[in-house]
Amino acid sequence: MPPLLSVERLNKYFAGLAALKDVSFEVQEGQICGLIGPNGAGKTTLFSIIGGSVSPSSGTIRYSGKDVTRWKSFQAVRAGVARTHQITRPFREMTARQNVEVGLHFGRGPVSRSPSNEVTAILEGVGLGHVAGRNAASLCVGDQRRLELARTLAAKPKLLLCDEVCSGLTETEMNEVLELLRRIRERGTTILYVEHNMRAIMSTCDQVVVLNFGQKLTEGPPLKIQNDPAVIEAYLGRTAAN
Amino acid sequence: MDAADFANLLVSALLLAGIYAAMSVGMTIIYGVMKIVNLAHAGFLMLGAYFVLELYERLNVDPLVGSLLAFPVFLVAGMLVHWLLVKRIPVSDQPTLASLLLMFGLWLVLQNIGYLIWGNSDRSILTPRTLSSLHLGPITIPTVRLTVFIPAVCSLGLLEFVLRRTWYGRGVRALMQNRYAGRLAGIPVEKMARLTFGVGIGFAGAAGGLLAQLYSFSPDFGHGFLLRSFVIIVLGGLESFWGAAAGAMVLALVETFSILVLPAGYQPAIAFSLLVLALVVLPGGIAGIFAKKHRWA
Amino acid sequence: MRAASVQMGRFLNYRVAAWGTTLIALGILPWCGIGPNLTRLLFTALVWVITSVAWNLLGGFTGQVSFGFAVFYGLGAYTAAIGINGGIHPLGAFAIAGLVAAIASIPIGLPTFRLRGPYFAIATIGVSEAVRVVMTNLSFTGGASGYRIAEHGPFRPLEHYYTALGFAAGAIVISAWIYHSKFGLSLQAVREDEEAAADIGVNPLKAKLIVHLLAATLTGIAGGVYARYAAYIHPQGVFAFHTSVAILLMPIIGGAGTVAGPVIGGFVYGLVQEELVAAFPQFHLLLYGALLIVIILFEPRGVVGWLGRLWAFFERTWRKSAATSVG
Repeated sequence: MPPLLSVERLNKYFAGLAALKDVSFEVQEGQICGLIGPNGAGKTTLFSIIGGSVSPSSGTIRYSGKDVTRWKSFQAVRAGVARTHQITRPFREMTARQNVEVGLHFGRGPVSRSPSNEVTAILEGVGLGHVAGRNAASLCVGDQRRLELARTLAAKPKLLLCDEVCSGLTETEMNEVLELLRRIRERGTTILYVEHNMRAIMSTCDQVVVLNFGQKLTEGPPLKIQNDPAVIEAYLGRTAAN
Repeated sequence: MDAADFANLLVSALLLAGIYAAMSVGMTIIYGVMKIVNLAHAGFLMLGAYFVLELYERLNVDPLVGSLLAFPVFLVAGMLVHWLLVKRIPVSDQPTLASLLLMFGLWLVLQNIGYLIWGNSDRSILTPRTLSSLHLGPITIPTVRLTVFIPAVCSLGLLEFVLRRTWYGRGVRALMQNRYAGRLAGIPVEKMARLTFGVGIGFAGAAGGLLAQLYSFSPDFGHGFLLRSFVIIVLGGLESFWGAAAGAMVLALVETFSILVLPAGYQPAIAFSLLVLALVVLPGGIAGIFAKKHRWA
Repeated sequence: MRAASVQMGRFLNYRVAAWGTTLIALGILPWCGIGPNLTRLLFTALVWVITSVAWNLLGGFTGQVSFGFAVFYGLGAYTAAIGINGGIHPLGAFAIAGLVAAIASIPIGLPTFRLRGPYFAIATIGVSEAVRVVMTNLSFTGGASGYRIAEHGPFRPLEHYYTALGFAAGAIVISAWIYHSKFGLSLQAVREDEEAAADIGVNPLKAKLIVHLLAATLTGIAGGVYARYAAYIHPQGVFAFHTSVAILLMPIIGGAGTVAGPVIGGFVYGLVQEELVAAFPQFHLLLYGALLIVIILFEPRGVVGWLGRLWAFFERTWRKSAATSVG
């Protein structure tokens, strides 16, 4: 079975600086695939390219076998690839409910007979049921993160690109979010997941891809990655690896 | 058209470019540091023109000196405007509509003040220089154009010096690139913004005085120059004053030589069309194109 | 939950009733002996309501502030004028005027919508002024001396009035429909954060082009309605920068981004402006400039926003007194 997502020899240069160099990997349908790497490794750039907001300098992206390298982000969403942002971008003067409505009506669809019930269900699923009527700008950061996730989920993605959904959350909140991700996967959504929190990665991911300085360092199941000296060196330096 | 005509047109364009560059500097510096599109720039050009006119007609002050005097007067006025109005709107790294509309409102008010004080008839400044010309071989230059060009270029040179060699100038350039980082680096952003706004208005006033010696004016003066200033800023890109000079050159050349192909009535449309073209085709301005070339070298 | 939706239902019905009453009132007014001068003022206000509502679709709902809507107003005016002189029935002429403006909106929008806010605003000034200069030099439309409409038959002010009222009502209905629709939601998203909107499935360029087309059509029709009434138009009037300014001032003063705001703005401007220009011609720019400054600094949501704050204040006071009287 062809992989749901295939990244082939992706390169991205910003004004002569290589943000991504020759990155290739695959994500199978139904997986939760983690993407890790130190800050500046190129993870968010990779997301932006897969999601369609940025186009690569060279390389190919395949989604369900089709070449989608140069698609625009709204085309990606309609096809089922949607992302959350590392720094949340809620529609500030719109209510939480309205934010989710946008995702619902302009995502992959289909929209049920009772969209407002669907929106309520999504909001309650991420724990925002009680603030549905409040302006997104008035929500605290943690709630804005949940709103970002809710809005993206409303678009019914087949491939969800999650960019650091756990940062800034408490231990309990993080567990809730991870549980949510697992449930989403059970319902058939594939997840590509950028995260710094190692515990989150280890406990949820089926496979992990490691980036460093824009290049793929290695990939494999979480346990293998955890003990790989090259990965440890990338994060903690040479002495820690030895 | 023979070589002498061509040379004359070229010189004409060059002189015009210098003046256009000086005229747009005020808007450029305010936009660069504060990301505010100062539509009231036109209003201050107009007030500068009347300021110099009054000094000339009442006190017999030579318009060139008047323009020089306009700078500190308008600098203070600009700082006052900033303190009263501009500092009350939210600032950001991106130009905001609130600032655009605020400056537009201010322009309307300035225009009306102009009408109230000076009425709506056209005025002009006539000095002995206005009607005489210089002859350099085959080239004829109206004297007034030269006497306006020289202070314009000098003021640009002075500004460039200030920007490159003084503490204030370094701060301005830093803020133009990244306001937030500038704040972190310890630059007193609010005070800098106020002073820079003042400097921008100061240049507008002085430029208005210079322009008044070349064109007739009334309270809605500055309208056409506003768009021209913006064309220059956009053509020149934002970070570079050489770019602005290049932009002014392009505009001046196109305008001057267009007389050969277009009826005079269509001339104002040139700046407008060039503006739209520039905004769409050259988002980084001329300097942006050159910078790109550099990067791959 | 049910109580809330019932309340909502009541609220919406209250709104529809308010609009309906206003419409009927405006419809009956000319028969109540208000005199030709007031009819003329109301007619002007209604034409401005059309342009305000139209501009607000693009500028208020979608956040793309255009300083060049006079180009559509002027194109509509000239198209309708030429059509009527050519023997076309006025309503047909208005339709063609709207169509021409609609078509013009595409080559204007395509290049300019790539630009961020203020750059877009300035580009629209450029476009509008370029067209004005061209029209001033074009001889077959009269150039700078303008263009006259020669219509047969007496001048019937009521016909003009009801035409304007009809189109204004239509514009308001379109505006309200968009406001409550999924399309309107996407416009709001584009206004809030265009890139995030794209990242969630909205095609920003398509949305902008569609709303621009609607706005241009309505504005073109308004220009046509005005042209027929005035029977004489010239580039220094219908294509002027100050016309673009008027078109944008009204919805901003009334309250950009709402349905009622541009209507309030249109009436305020139309009714007050005429009187103001007659009584204090030397102050009118000052007043508008000062008003704009005050609005930007203190109440960016215009009259509607101010009324909203007033209402919230009264609601709080009423609730406080109700609470104390219960306790």
